[in-house]
Amino acid sequence: MQRPIEKPVGTPVREIDTPALLVDLDRLDANVAAVRGPARAEAWVHKTPAIARCQVANADVVGIAMRSIAEAEAFAAAGFDDIRVLRPLVTARAQERASALGKSIRLHLSDDGVPLTGAELLDDAVTVSSRVTSAPEPGRAIVDCGQKAIGRDFGDPTVVGHEAFRASAGSAEHGAITYPMRGAGPSRSPAADATPLAIGDWLELRPADVATAFSLHDYVYGVRDGVLEAVWPITARGAF
Amino acid sequence: MKIGTPVEELDTPVALIDLDALEHNIGVIAAHYRDKTIRLRPHGKNHKSPQVLGMQIAAGGTVGGVCAAKVSEAEVFVNNGAGNVLVANQVVDADKILRLAALAKRVDTTVAIDDEAQVERLAAGARALDTTLGVVVEIDTMMGRGGVRTIEHAVKLAQEVGATPHLRFRGIMSHQVPTQRQPNRAQRFDEGGRYIEHVIAAKRAIEQSGIPVEIVSTGESWTYDVAATFPDVTEIEGGSYIVMEVPYAFMDEFRFALRVMGRVVAKPDQRTAIGDVPIDAIAAPNGLPTLEGVAGATVSALDHHGVTLSSETPLPIAIGDPFYLLTHQQDMTVNRWERLLGVRNGVVETIIEAQARGCVN
Repeated sequence: MQRPIEKPVGTPVREIDTPALLVDLDRLDANVAAVRGPARAEAWVHKTPAIARCQVANADVVGIAMRSIAEAEAFAAAGFDDIRVLRPLVTARAQERASALGKSIRLHLSDDGVPLTGAELLDDAVTVSSRVTSAPEPGRAIVDCGQKAIGRDFGDPTVVGHEAFRASAGSAEHGAITYPMRGAGPSRSPAADATPLAIGDWLELRPADVATAFSLHDYVYGVRDGVLEAVWPITARGAF
Repeated sequence: MKIGTPVEELDTPVALIDLDALEHNIGVIAAHYRDKTIRLRPHGKNHKSPQVLGMQIAAGGTVGGVCAAKVSEAEVFVNNGAGNVLVANQVVDADKILRLAALAKRVDTTVAIDDEAQVERLAAGARALDTTLGVVVEIDTMMGRGGVRTIEHAVKLAQEVGATPHLRFRGIMSHQVPTQRQPNRAQRFDEGGRYIEHVIAAKRAIEQSGIPVEIVSTGESWTYDVAATFPDVTEIEGGSYIVMEVPYAFMDEFRFALRVMGRVVAKPDQRTAIGDVPIDAIAAPNGLPTLEGVAGATVSALDHHGVTLSSETPLPIAIGDPFYLLTHQQDMTVNRWERLLGVRNGVVETIIEAQARGCVN
C-alpha cells in the first residue's frame, strides 16, 4: 500500500505529499454533467467508488462497467447495484462468483445495449504532483515522480503550464525534466522560463494515460481552487 | 488462498514466483560473496517484500539491511526486520526528512545527496529529532539522473557533510545499467569496470582531502561479480537478479522466477487468442511480454482489457486454457501486485506479501 504523509482537508495542493495523484474537482464535475444518456460509466478506468458515485449522480447514467468479476465485487461492496462485466467468464469458479454477486445486484455479463461512456472523463482533470529532488546540471532537473507514480506504458507525461519543458518517466523511481535555458548557446532560448528549476520546486505532470496512473496509486486527492477537498481510496486497484 | 492449490486451478490473472528459481538466484550471490569482503545490499524495490528480504539476509553475503528507493519503502522494510537502510535517492522535503530521521533513531539510516541544498535540509530534520543521519554522495556515472557530475563536487560535499552537526559522512554510491543489449561477459567486465573505476577515483580524492570513506556502494546485479574484483567496493545495490526479466537474460546464472499466468477468454480465429492479462497487471514500458511454452506463438498486443496472442499456424490453446508471460520490466510488474504466489512443483506453497507495493512517497 501507498504510505503518504496524510494532510488535512484545506491543505494547499503544493503541500500534499508528493508524488500524489490529483483530480481537479471542478473539471470532474463539469465532465460528469456533460454526459447525455442513457449511458453506462466505465468506472474501471479510475477504480474509485467516490468518482463513480459522481458519475451515477447524473440521472442519464444507469450504472457502471468494470473489467472483471474481482473489480465488480469491489464496487458491489462499495454499494453499486448495476454493474456490467466486460471480460468473458471462462472458468467454473468465475461463473460461481458471478452467480453469487448476481443475487445482490443487477449484474450484466454481456452487452445490455446501454452505450459505454467515460473512458476519457478524467483526461483533462488528472495530474500527478511532483517535487524537484536534484538539479544536477543546467537545463535538467530530477523529480520524485517516475514510472511507478505516473506510468510509461503509453508514453511520457507532459508538464502542466510549461510547454517548453520535456518530461520523461524513464526511470522507475525518478522523472527527468529538461528545459531550455535563457540566453545564448545552442540549447538556450530567449523565450525560455526566466527561472531555472531548483531543488524543492513543485511541478504538476499530466500522465499519458489516466487508467495507468490510477493503477499505480492507492489514493486520489480531490482538489478545488488550489486546496485539498477530498482523499478517495482507489478501492479496486489491483483487482485484475 | 489455499496452500497446496494446483497452479492450473488459480483465478487469473495471477503473479507467480517460482520458489526454486528465487532460492537459486539468492544462492548465486550468497555463494559468490561468502569468502569476500564485498556485500550485497538487497534492493527492496525489486520485490517489495520483507519476506523475500529475510530470505536474502538469511542466505548470507549481505549487509543485513536494505536499499530503498523511497522513504515510505524504507519504513516498510525497517518495520519488518531490516537491520539498516540506505535510501539510494535524494530526499528534500521537510516532512519526509523527519520520517527519515525517525528511522535513524531506530536503525542505521543513510541517504544519498548530490547538492549543497540538501545538506542543511537533512541536518534540520535530524536536529529536530536529536539524531544523526548517515549521508553518501551520489556519483553520476552514466544515468544522467541524480548524482554529482564531477569528482571535485563530491569532495566539496563530503567536506560540507563532515562539518555539519547531526550528519555523518559515510561514503559514496553510484548506479549503472549496461549500454549494450545482452552484453557478453567481457563487455560486462569492460563497461562495468570503467564505471566502478570512476567511483573509486572519487573515493581516493575524498580520502586525499582527509576524510575517511567507509561505504563504496556501486553496481547492480549485472556487475555483482565485476564489483567483487575491486577491493575498494564495499557493497553493491542488487535487485534485478531476484526475479529476473527478459532484457536481463544475458545474466544466465540467474533464472526467471516471475511469471504472470492468464487464461484465454476468447478466440476470434484459429491463429489469435485473447487473454485476461491487462497491461496494468504486467506493465510493458520496455516491450511486450514474452509468451512461454506455446510453440510459434507470441504476444502481439497488450491493452487495458487484455493481451493478444498470435501465431502463423493454428494456436494449440483453447478458451479457458492457462498461459504464462515473462515480463520485460520486473520492477514495474512486481509493483502492480499486493501479493505474489510462491509456487513449487506445480502447487502454491506460500503467499509472498508485497507490503511495500505502491510506496512511491
